[in-house]
Amino acid sequence: MLNLKRALVALTCLAAMTAAVAMAGPAQVMDPGHAKPGATKKAGKSAATGPDCSACHSCAAPTHANPCLQSCQRHGAQFKGQHGSSEGPEIVIIDQLANLYGPVVFAHKLHAQMSDMTGGCTNCHHYSPATGAVPPCRQCHEPTRAASDLRQPALKGAYHRQCINCHLDWNHDNACGFCHEQAADRKGADPKASAAHDPTDIVGTRHPLIKAKPTYTYKTTEPTGPMVTFHHEDHVEKFGLRCVDCHRGDTCASCHDTGSGKEKRALDHVTTCGACHAERNCAFCHSGDSKPQFDHRLSTGWSLEPYHARIACSTCHGEPQAFRTPSRQCTSCHIHWAEGSFDHKLTGLKLDDNHSELECANCHLEMNFAAKPQCTDCHDEAMFPAKLPGSRVPRR
Amino acid sequence: MVTRRDFLKLSGAAAGTAALAATGAVASSGSTSKLDPARVGVLTDLTLCIGCRRCEWACAQQNQLPYGPLESCDDQSLLANARRPDAEHYTVINRYPAPTWREQPLDVKVQCMHCEHPACVSACIVGALEKNPMGPVTYDPWKCIGCRYCMVACPFQIPAYEYHNALTPKVMKCTMCPERTLEKQQLPACAEICPREAILFGRRDELLELAHERLSQHPDRYHPEVYGEHEVGGTSWLLIADRPVTECGIPELSDQSPAALTETIQHGIFRGFSGPLMIFGLLSVLMKSSTDRRRREDWDGEDQRDGEDKHG
Repeated sequence: MLNLKRALVALTCLAAMTAAVAMAGPAQVMDPGHAKPGATKKAGKSAATGPDCSACHSCAAPTHANPCLQSCQRHGAQFKGQHGSSEGPEIVIIDQLANLYGPVVFAHKLHAQMSDMTGGCTNCHHYSPATGAVPPCRQCHEPTRAASDLRQPALKGAYHRQCINCHLDWNHDNACGFCHEQAADRKGADPKASAAHDPTDIVGTRHPLIKAKPTYTYKTTEPTGPMVTFHHEDHVEKFGLRCVDCHRGDTCASCHDTGSGKEKRALDHVTTCGACHAERNCAFCHSGDSKPQFDHRLSTGWSLEPYHARIACSTCHGEPQAFRTPSRQCTSCHIHWAEGSFDHKLTGLKLDDNHSELECANCHLEMNFAAKPQCTDCHDEAMFPAKLPGSRVPRR
Repeated sequence: MVTRRDFLKLSGAAAGTAALAATGAVASSGSTSKLDPARVGVLTDLTLCIGCRRCEWACAQQNQLPYGPLESCDDQSLLANARRPDAEHYTVINRYPAPTWREQPLDVKVQCMHCEHPACVSACIVGALEKNPMGPVTYDPWKCIGCRYCMVACPFQIPAYEYHNALTPKVMKCTMCPERTLEKQQLPACAEICPREAILFGRRDELLELAHERLSQHPDRYHPEVYGEHEVGGTSWLLIADRPVTECGIPELSDQSPAALTETIQHGIFRGFSGPLMIFGLLSVLMKSSTDRRRREDWDGEDQRDGEDKHG
């Protein structure tokens, strides 16, 4: 008997959902007592004989005293407004609940664009009346959780159920810090400060790791040099460019399939590449064959091995946007390397007393530090490797 | 002459009869009848749990157990091995891998189930553990003598003991926060912090209704069973999940409380003082008959001796 009753309730719910989702016109009033499997299928199709009560009411004869209203339906059943993803706000700061954590800076537009590829606004805004305005979540979801209302999540539960559904699907990551900043970290900080990032920076915002190819080869229509080799990895890893430095203005649809195909980004190479390579001629990129990766020794005649290869390009050359060429004099960077004060231990050789008295140029002829000094330059007998001008120490 | 063996046999049979006679009545009129119809409970919807372990943190804070900073919960490596609640953790989250890569792993919150008919309460010889008619199974350290029978009795192996505390050790287990829920109309600490409302606190009957509603509305999302509805005679803490929770560290138990059998026998024997009366009545009859027989034998002997004397 109990099972029968349960089945009937389930059927009624199913009928209500079918009718509401289909929105194919009003359905006949369903009497839960007489609902049959056959009848539920016809419910959505039945002609426009009256309003569809079951979309909102759970009982057959709702009264003013007992309207038996259903709780808000999901899956866009009651989203009547017409909005585009571009209409919404750029960023929403969710700070009604800030307690253990600081406010969440929610990139609304970014999410709206992502939703365009699946279910649209209704992915999150599951209730919106026909009057147009999308009601805020807190209009239905109470900020404080009452023990009495079990069926409608409070604001915190609503937010988390909404967000984490997708976030789990996308990266299986439940770290709270992905969205939240700890409240303690934010003392005195303006929540809007971190919101004031570049709104055109799609890939610069939090995004699962994008796996780009290390090298892209393009075939262009340029007659003299049709091949353009672009070493993406070099630009990111070596030169330290941020995604947004080149991908400014990209949208989700630039990479993700929206159903109507990918929106191919027309690269304006003059502004994008020219931002850094303005003074170069066409042959710098265009050639008849693919180009090898950047090699500091081949391009400039200055080998970075062994010490300088360890440091970032920007240490000597500055940020990519403000590129500078340093002097080849060691002391132009190593300002503390003056005669007499240089600690030779840094090279892995601690000079003995006899040699530490000498001037640099006595051994490093013409101050050419790239070439190794030879013992025979000063000494008649061949001493190396039997004897060293000091002792080996571990290199720093 | 009644031997010791005969006596034990007899008294055993008497006790058995008494127990059988009283089985039906006691089983139905156990301690469950004292429960309030509006008693509270908790429903954990494991499909919503993401294993953030904030409930562990809030629980430790509420119950003065050791806890680290909030970010320490982000350490997911702890989920790799199944843990059990102990003297410093009233509740733990265990992660069970997804059957296929398309699904999510299942995070299972483990804590005292607050049985409707708790074996620990039945086993406690001093009444330190009690079933509050409103739901929680409460513990009074002042009454506890540290026998740890409750730990042996619990079918979920929940009660833990402060072995490191030499002087005032306590039995440690989830309290369902009666100081919050029953006194201040607040939610249990774990339920309050749960970001996704995977832990729902409310009246047990309403939670059951809600759980069945979810199962019937989303048959694709749930395994059609509310764990704790019938297990061990029902528990205040209910679980629903996308797969049988018994595959994920929750024990598979019968619908009868382990305390039901022992209590049936015990209460049956002592019902209306019938058991002791029967045993002592039987004893008195036996003693009477044996003394009667001995006296008769004595008389017979005397008669015989008298005759022999006459003939002699």
